[in-house]
Amino acid sequence: MVVYSFYIFDRHADCIYKRRWLPTASIPSNSSRPVSEATTDGNVARSRKALSAEDDAKLIFGTVFSLRNMVRKLGGEDDTFLSYRTSQYKLHYYETPTNAKFVMLTDTKSGSMRIALHQIYVSIYVEYVVKNPLSPVEHPGGLGVNNELFEITLEQFVDRVLNATS
Amino acid sequence: MRKVFPLDWALSVQWRIWRAKTFLRRGALKLQYVLTVYTLLIINKAGGLVYNRDFSPSPNASVEKISTNDYLVLAGTFHGVHAITKSLTPRIPTKNPTSSSRPSSNPNALNIAPSLDNTQPSSQIQTTTPNPNLPVTGLETLETSFFRLTCFQTHTGTKFLLITDPLMPNVDAVMKGVYERYADHVMKNPFYQLEMPIRVEGWDRAVGQWLGGR
Repeated sequence: MVVYSFYIFDRHADCIYKRRWLPTASIPSNSSRPVSEATTDGNVARSRKALSAEDDAKLIFGTVFSLRNMVRKLGGEDDTFLSYRTSQYKLHYYETPTNAKFVMLTDTKSGSMRIALHQIYVSIYVEYVVKNPLSPVEHPGGLGVNNELFEITLEQFVDRVLNATS
Repeated sequence: MRKVFPLDWALSVQWRIWRAKTFLRRGALKLQYVLTVYTLLIINKAGGLVYNRDFSPSPNASVEKISTNDYLVLAGTFHGVHAITKSLTPRIPTKNPTSSSRPSSNPNALNIAPSLDNTQPSSQIQTTTPNPNLPVTGLETLETSFFRLTCFQTHTGTKFLLITDPLMPNVDAVMKGVYERYADHVMKNPFYQLEMPIRVEGWDRAVGQWLGGR
């Protein structure tokens, strides 16, 4: 499986951490000849590129927040939204008891990532961000989250555990 | 030892029978549960709810019945979210001669792409979707701990939403059956006004037969 991106949102709906992994194009047969961008597809591509990473994070939060509320309406207060899938990608969601939200975008073939996201929370976020005495309690603008140990461990976790098990 | 054994044995047999009985009872309930369609919603291309019907009580017993008004709000929300999930599709840069010099492992590659766009013609950075063979769609299935929502969008933009048990197999086939009945009983009905709530008796009956037994 391939991980495309990973986001953490705090309880104030701010994106406190985002990280993208860009795989190279997985269509080797097309590498020799130019990829034709059809009229409709080309428009989609152009409009997508106009969005920055910040816009993406906001859109993802909006989506996840709406879906979470929708799921609670349909399934009751103790129901939890786990993931959704489109034809192109799959979004996984994990919410901690303190309302921090962990979101991960992967390819469609991946299974449930609930355990992996829980693992990231417990053994990476709590260890290197929450237990860090120099880190503030809140993380405005990602302050305190983007420390070196957290980034390195997250990188390793995604590379070795998630991207390796194909 | 010989005296104790029969009593002990009888007790254990009784306990086993009780266990088997409760297991069977719960198993039978489970079997009914697994193949359940809870709700069918149909959303027109403008995001309005045109049909909603509950087939079995909500997956969570603690939830009171959801009113049509709430379903209306839900349909509108879902319509919006569906469009956003489509636009969130990750773009993967393709290798092309102009941008191949840029290291693809650079984590900020996409972050700097918009700023590059301003200086260079945007056609230089080519991107593709993760599954280029499939059309880009919005949300198709949503999983929660109690139910699974499957969304099917027709070519004309109408969305069919089926809320089922998370373990229910072959939802695609069930959805296809619903769509066929919709085409037969609603679309072919000369008195049905497009984009308006569906009040067609034949459709009610047909879809009830198709989904009620599940």
